[in-house]
Amino acid sequence: MADEQDKPVSKEVPEQEHPNEDAMQQAERDHWARPMGHIRADEVPPGASSANIEGRDVVNPTHGFGQLWRRTYRIRLKDVQSAPAEVMKYWKDHFPEFQPDENRFLPTSDGVQPGELVFIDAKLINAPGLGNLTPMTSGVMVIYADDESFTVMTPEGFPVSGFNTFSVYEEDGGIFAQVQGLERATDPIYEFGYRFMGGETKQDRTWTHVLKSLAARYGIDEDVEHTKTCLDPSLQWQNVGNVWKNAFVRTTLYKATTPVRWLFGGGSDKKP
Amino acid sequence: MNLQPVSANPLVAILRQADATTILDLSGEIDGFADEAMDDAYMRAAATNPQRLLLNFAAVDYINSTGIALIVAVLAKARRDKITLLTCGLSEHYQEMFRITRLSDFIPVFPDEESALAAP
Repeated sequence: MADEQDKPVSKEVPEQEHPNEDAMQQAERDHWARPMGHIRADEVPPGASSANIEGRDVVNPTHGFGQLWRRTYRIRLKDVQSAPAEVMKYWKDHFPEFQPDENRFLPTSDGVQPGELVFIDAKLINAPGLGNLTPMTSGVMVIYADDESFTVMTPEGFPVSGFNTFSVYEEDGGIFAQVQGLERATDPIYEFGYRFMGGETKQDRTWTHVLKSLAARYGIDEDVEHTKTCLDPSLQWQNVGNVWKNAFVRTTLYKATTPVRWLFGGGSDKKP
Repeated sequence: MNLQPVSANPLVAILRQADATTILDLSGEIDGFADEAMDDAYMRAAATNPQRLLLNFAAVDYINSTGIALIVAVLAKARRDKITLLTCGLSEHYQEMFRITRLSDFIPVFPDEESALAAP
């Protein structure tokens, strides 16, 4: 969080009386991605696909379909002597390594920076025999990053519409690492999956795994605290059309039709 | 369970009325620490049964990405309660944040209180 000196100053104050004002405001602006139209995947890391992210728009929870949830996961990094900013730097630098095996996170070469993409290749449901039937290729955009936190926003077609904020902070003399999501399932298929097909449990397991893996790098084995609050139980039926960009459906159809494309010479490198 | 510590410059929200519009004059910082204050402010505003709720950000010092998430939560509650949400007093930088996060798709942004109140 910014201290008193970092705060923006009123626009009415003449610039020459506050020589550092521009620098302070610029520093704060640098924490944010630049306004954009559609997402452009200028750099696609080896092994990643720009499918279901190139050309999409980022979406906040109001663009989604399902119930609005705030989910918070945090772990105490007991006896860690590093400052929150040091832990956050390590987290950013090694972000993909903390994911469970069924999730591949592939950042661009600039890493976790505002405006950069993190490509994702995941299995939505991790159940015996079902994992390979629920593939999803997409990604997220880093919209905000400072020394102690960063936030990603999802694109159209992603399982959830909203934000995830990753942060490290001090409280009661201890250091905590936290993941907080504010999101709605993007369309009826995802909402059904979250409620009845283990999607929510999978999400809980994922973030628990991430935090415990981060803590393990510091030699810590603590439990993850988890709270969830339903902020709006209603469904947003006006957004039911989001289903047309459903990344899971598109990825599944693409994989299922791969043999046909091979047979008829369509190649295998086209995007779903 | 409260997962957030206390802010050094907490959010303060003062309620005013202008015909069918309830105005929330916000000051301080809108970040992860402002969760309860924002919730409380919205509940007090909604209790006045307004047609419109104007969030006045003119005296807000700082908003981070967690603060944006809190505003999204207020938007969801306002839509649930059929209250039209408006904003005014956002600096150019914070207006840009509203565009980046696409909050501006759902919340009209006015330069000042007068123009917000004059809007149809």
